[in-house]
Amino acid sequence: MNTAGSQLIIAAIVGLPFMSFLACVFLGRRLKENAQYVSILAVTISLVFSIFALLWVAGVLPASGGQISFSVPWIGLGEDATFPMGVQIGHWTAVMLVIVCFVSLMVQLFSGGYMAGHPRFAWYYAVVSIFTGSMLGLVVSPNFIQAYFFWELVGGTSYLIHGFYFERPAATYAAQKAFIVNRVADAALFIGIMVFWRETGTTSFSGIAEAAKAGIIGQTALTIGLLLVLLGATGKSAQFPLHVWLSNAMQGPTPLSALIHAAAMIVTGVYVISRTYDIFVQSPTAMEVVAIVGAFTAFMAATMALVQKDIKQIIAYSTISQFGYVMLGLGVGAFTAGVFHIYTHALFKSLLFLLAANLGYAVAGSSDMRVMGGLKSRMPVTYWAFVVAGLALAGVFPFSGFWSKDAVIASAYEEGHYVLFALALLTVGLTAFYIFRGIFICFHGEPRSEDARKASEVPVIMRVPVVILAFLSVVAGWVGIPRGFGLPVKDVFGDFVRPDRFVQSVTHATPGLFSFVLAGISVLFALIGLFLAYVFVLARPQWAEALGRRLPVVHDFLLNGWYFDLCYDRLFVRPAKALGRAVRDFDLREVGGLVGGFGRGAGWAGEKLRSLQTGGAQNYALFILFGAFVVAVVASAQYSFIAVIVLVAFGLAAAAVGSRL
Amino acid sequence: MSEGVIPLQAYLIVAALMFALGAWGVTIRRNAVVVFMCVELMINAVNLTLVAFSDYLPKAHGAGSGYAVVVIAIAAAEVAVGLAIVIAVFRTRRTVNIDEIDSMKG
Repeated sequence: MNTAGSQLIIAAIVGLPFMSFLACVFLGRRLKENAQYVSILAVTISLVFSIFALLWVAGVLPASGGQISFSVPWIGLGEDATFPMGVQIGHWTAVMLVIVCFVSLMVQLFSGGYMAGHPRFAWYYAVVSIFTGSMLGLVVSPNFIQAYFFWELVGGTSYLIHGFYFERPAATYAAQKAFIVNRVADAALFIGIMVFWRETGTTSFSGIAEAAKAGIIGQTALTIGLLLVLLGATGKSAQFPLHVWLSNAMQGPTPLSALIHAAAMIVTGVYVISRTYDIFVQSPTAMEVVAIVGAFTAFMAATMALVQKDIKQIIAYSTISQFGYVMLGLGVGAFTAGVFHIYTHALFKSLLFLLAANLGYAVAGSSDMRVMGGLKSRMPVTYWAFVVAGLALAGVFPFSGFWSKDAVIASAYEEGHYVLFALALLTVGLTAFYIFRGIFICFHGEPRSEDARKASEVPVIMRVPVVILAFLSVVAGWVGIPRGFGLPVKDVFGDFVRPDRFVQSVTHATPGLFSFVLAGISVLFALIGLFLAYVFVLARPQWAEALGRRLPVVHDFLLNGWYFDLCYDRLFVRPAKALGRAVRDFDLREVGGLVGGFGRGAGWAGEKLRSLQTGGAQNYALFILFGAFVVAVVASAQYSFIAVIVLVAFGLAAAAVGSRL
Repeated sequence: MSEGVIPLQAYLIVAALMFALGAWGVTIRRNAVVVFMCVELMINAVNLTLVAFSDYLPKAHGAGSGYAVVVIAIAAAEVAVGLAIVIAVFRTRRTVNIDEIDSMKG
């Protein structure tokens, strides 16, 4: 993989979306709706090249196999501090490249219909392009500095997405909230990178891992650095305690949410953990924290999703929850299971969001479930795709989510994290409940609004990606059917995306874990959740109302996301505002007063000194003489008696002049 | 070097008196022309000290006299300008009383 041509191809994977971004920005006015073809062409070529990279690392192409790796010097700050910009593509990276390009392509195809006629159509595609490019750049990064660069770019462009409809105050608020919460995480990540750099003198992933293996970096410093990286990841992946921005961030165009949730932005956090996994496994404490944060987040976000009134909110909380699973998997040492869940999640989550976009398209731009209902017969394609995505999300056999989620849960059990295992299992039930509650409310029963009564199926261009993704949501998991399941199929994914030998020796986790009992229990939980959703929404809706009336505290607690926003408001926002006000008052009163005082003092002194300007030349001559006299006195103090005489003479002279003026 | 019987201090005292008299006149006389004459008096007091020092300090090689010549030349030029100003002021204000010319009052 050293020829210039092949390197160019790999670089083009990242470069093309950026070029498309520039084209859409600078030629947007002229391109108008044709911007989509530029952007789609770029991402399609990226996808093809990504598949090429995948085949290369898989060893399918002639003279291939192993890693793709090259770099160029980027920033040089002397001998010990040169930061290269480069590409390093291993097995998992190659898969991720394909996922990102594929989801982006689906979203862009879909958006052509969804955004049709919007005045900022070209800008929309510009945003999608740069967002995709940033994510791809992050995915191929071989070191923390480059990763951080693209990490920030992803975060920055997400600001553009959340604030796309900047006419709405809620959208600008959401954009700012996401931006600020992510700044906290980014700062943590940056400090983490600095810790690694100080300790090891390198920022490359492999370099740090080697340094840790060799014991160059101490266990304490390693753990601190990793926890900071983890905090960064909790911000981007919306994990506890920095998940609060995600539920607000539903203000952007819905298809873009599909991209954010399935292939970019929110994936960045868990992806970076999986990318630096050979560093993570060397700190048991950090791994433990990852697992706990993951399991807790999965459970917490699932409870929040139970009572939401907006379908997009449900799906958003579901993302938080599902990435909790990924973190849990990575934390307990099940690398393959964790990243497998990223892969399957990308497909069914992007599908869910595109379907939510379908609903919004059909029902006057709203995603509020209180205006839906009875859409099953009016939008059959959307409905059945939604059911498929829901089953995949809930982890029902044999949909894709089942295989990955079950591998995570089984690993948690196998590694002896029984509490986390129980939380994960409980979350399966909750997941099935919330997603089918949403489906039942939206599609069954009577239409609850005039718009819902008039709704019809979406255009073909929007149906195509949906159907493709629905198909993949069913079958995509089958590439990772674990060994021991009894079927004569290979665990292709598990064989391909495998942690390196070193990680295997540290984690002990058996890849491709599977147990019929655990799988059965987890599917049972999912079915119970599904059944309860059916009971509470369709069969006995009055029970749900009664429950809500009986337990209003719990209902509000869940609806308001465990009051995290309130807590943060009290803990951080208000003190910060109070501090800001105090500083402003200090500035106005003390600093402003001081400055104003100086000004007024100068004015007052000038007013007083004015009377010295008599305009009389003789008067001035007197001052000059007096000044010369003072100088003379200072210079020759011993003749002070002369000085006294002259002074008296001046006094008389001054009196004579003064009496005339 | 001169063998004059008059000591240096005598010159200096006379010069100081001349200077003080000139300064006195500059500060209190009203007529601008008289003020100019007093300025001349002060200048000449300084010239006197310069010449006296030049005579009494052999190492000065007569530099003081040279300065005195320069000062006299400048004084002549100054008087020319000064009188022109006085005449211009008289034409516009019909007075040369220096205490009535205070248009620069703050």
